[in-house]
Amino acid sequence: MSEHSIFKTFLAIGACRLTRGLLRLFHRGGTTLPGRSALTFDKKILEVVSQGMHIIVVTGTNGKTTTCSMLRNAFQESGIDPLSNISGANLLSGITAEFASQATLSGKPKKSYAIVECDEGALKQVAPLIKPEVIVVTNLFRDQLDRYGEIMHTLNEIRTGISLVPEAVLCLNSDCSLTASLASDVSNPVYFFGIGKTTVAENNTDTAEEQDSSPSDAKYCIRCGTEYDYSYHTYAHLGGFSCPNCDYKRKRPELEVTSIESTSRRSDIIIRIADTQVRVHVGLPALYNIYNAIAALAAFESAGLDRQKMITSLASVKSSFGRMEGFIYNNVDIQMILVKNPAGCNQTLDYLSSLNEEYVAVLCLNDKTADGHDISWIWDVDHEKIIEDPFCKKIYVSGTRARDMKIRLKYGNAKEENIRMIRSNEKLLSAMTEDKLPVYILPNYTAMLKLRTILSSATGRNEFWKDQKYVNKKH
Amino acid sequence: MSTKSIKICHIYPEALNLYGDRGNILCLKKRLEWRGIDCYVSEVKIGDNSDLSEYDFFFIGGGQDFEQEVLLSDLKSGKGRSIKSAVEDGKTFLCICGGYQMMGHYYETKDGNRMEFLGVANFATIGSEYRMIGDYFFKCTPESGGCEIVGFENHSGRTYLGEGVAPLGHLIYGYGNNGDDDTEGVRYKNLFGSYSHGPILPKNPEFADYLIQTTLDRKYGHVDLAPLDDSVENDAHDHMINLILKGAANKN
Ligand SMILES: [Zn+2]
Repeated sequence: MSEHSIFKTFLAIGACRLTRGLLRLFHRGGTTLPGRSALTFDKKILEVVSQGMHIIVVTGTNGKTTTCSMLRNAFQESGIDPLSNISGANLLSGITAEFASQATLSGKPKKSYAIVECDEGALKQVAPLIKPEVIVVTNLFRDQLDRYGEIMHTLNEIRTGISLVPEAVLCLNSDCSLTASLASDVSNPVYFFGIGKTTVAENNTDTAEEQDSSPSDAKYCIRCGTEYDYSYHTYAHLGGFSCPNCDYKRKRPELEVTSIESTSRRSDIIIRIADTQVRVHVGLPALYNIYNAIAALAAFESAGLDRQKMITSLASVKSSFGRMEGFIYNNVDIQMILVKNPAGCNQTLDYLSSLNEEYVAVLCLNDKTADGHDISWIWDVDHEKIIEDPFCKKIYVSGTRARDMKIRLKYGNAKEENIRMIRSNEKLLSAMTEDKLPVYILPNYTAMLKLRTILSSATGRNEFWKDQKYVNKKH
Repeated sequence: MSTKSIKICHIYPEALNLYGDRGNILCLKKRLEWRGIDCYVSEVKIGDNSDLSEYDFFFIGGGQDFEQEVLLSDLKSGKGRSIKSAVEDGKTFLCICGGYQMMGHYYETKDGNRMEFLGVANFATIGSEYRMIGDYFFKCTPESGGCEIVGFENHSGRTYLGEGVAPLGHLIYGYGNNGDDDTEGVRYKNLFGSYSHGPILPKNPEFADYLIQTTLDRKYGHVDLAPLDDSVENDAHDHMINLILKGAANKN
């Protein structure tokens, strides 16, 4: 603290708290502005207010928030109250805000553990300041292309971030050829997690042919450019890849799912960790949540914490903020599931079309900066999955790019009478519940924030920043 | 009346498949089906050296720089020559972003490395420091239908046209070919190149029909295209143009 003026720290933390207080006063859950005001006073404040803490960082394209939420539950199961940026403000400013608000005015952290969700591009700024013990990379898909340009660029951003903290244990998805390639470029210790050739993967209805023609984010060997062979796919480009030309292929992970039984509400899985088999119940449906669960478990193991606490808490895990969240309005069950890229969206549509009960779907598409201005990815999504599903009774489109979504559905052969475009969120709320069928809302990021505020006030629920432990208390 | 048909060839669907460009194929297919015109779509992938002369329409989309390198060796194996002769033959080509650049002579990176491309039409692309990203809007030349096209551009290459080729259109808002000369895309014979993702066709039905018309006319002599109800498409098209004109659209 010698060269680092205590006065500057004081000012930075003070500014952060003041901004936060003012924003709350005006009833806005602003989560990055406080951090920005702290940063204007002290660029390295984050290094000070995180000193000495045990930190797990979660990055990657899909599943960051759910993975963090699972980790937080496991910490709480272990009697530890960790710091976490639950609201999804995952850039340097938002992370700084969270840490600064949980420190004393002289800059000492009040908590000893932290779970940090970090944007892929922000990792290289954040990691050297907070020096995490564990970094999890969940997967890499195309996402918000106009912000990063290209997926290889994102991969390089992550690699740079990791190389700045060579002590940190890396937890990597062995089934993602892009993510797994990080292992060979850095000196960090590596711990792989993945899903093996399970019954689910073998029964995967997509034939090799269909997989072939669907857009893939990683078709060619990242080392030599030859097309990969796959012994199985779990979803999108994830699975048992191997290059027929060089020796790059999926590594047998330290932590591997060997069997999956799934219902529409939960999954029962068997995991091999080193040489032991453990049975785990995950309180969430869908394959991508199994990936989230094993990413969390891998991080928990790597941080040297008690595996059993994680396993116990996974059984009771409920969806995290906005990712898959339930509301009741007008006596109708409403589920909100964040979708922001083709792979995640296709998974969600698979889930809807497997429900076998009547429902209403709501597609909300915004093109604000946090969503990515380029919305052409909706044409890489198979909306036909719900258009052709006889149980899908109506589809509402909303958001700043609702008109584009309407065209997408038209060219997917949707019947015009089944599609309604409603731009006002208030009107949407009453219209989508009028058929008294369960409603599934699929918004992208800023659309979700807006809808959540409206649904929260309509159903009398707290806004997320008022209740950091919301996930555990409410369910 | 005998049924008319169009055979579409989607080149490198497995590699040049970013940014939703496959929506263009879906759009063509539906607009032909709705008019009772048969439409067959074939995919020609890397390593597939099948005869291209049977097709009427070719589509090549955009991809990542990394994957384009994989394609170069495949193009040299003979496919490049087939593509060239199909263009000279007056077949319709729609080439977007990376697929568009590939039709030119070369791509030169910032560091001066040159990747030789097909040289089907007289233009070339040079890498730049920054990406040209955002919603944009241009007007096609009268020779290319004269319609207004709204789309999304995302490229760091700057394309400069040479003698003997025309731009597809002139910019009203955005960067276009290079950010300097207000041109966008290329037109050479029936090769249409553009930076427009979005994808370009579904939201610009007038342009989609212009391509269909061009293709049918070449194959059958003049064909009358039945009009379609494009209110959904035009609503989105006009809305975006209004946003751009009001200065409310996204630009990085
Ligand atoms: Zn290889």
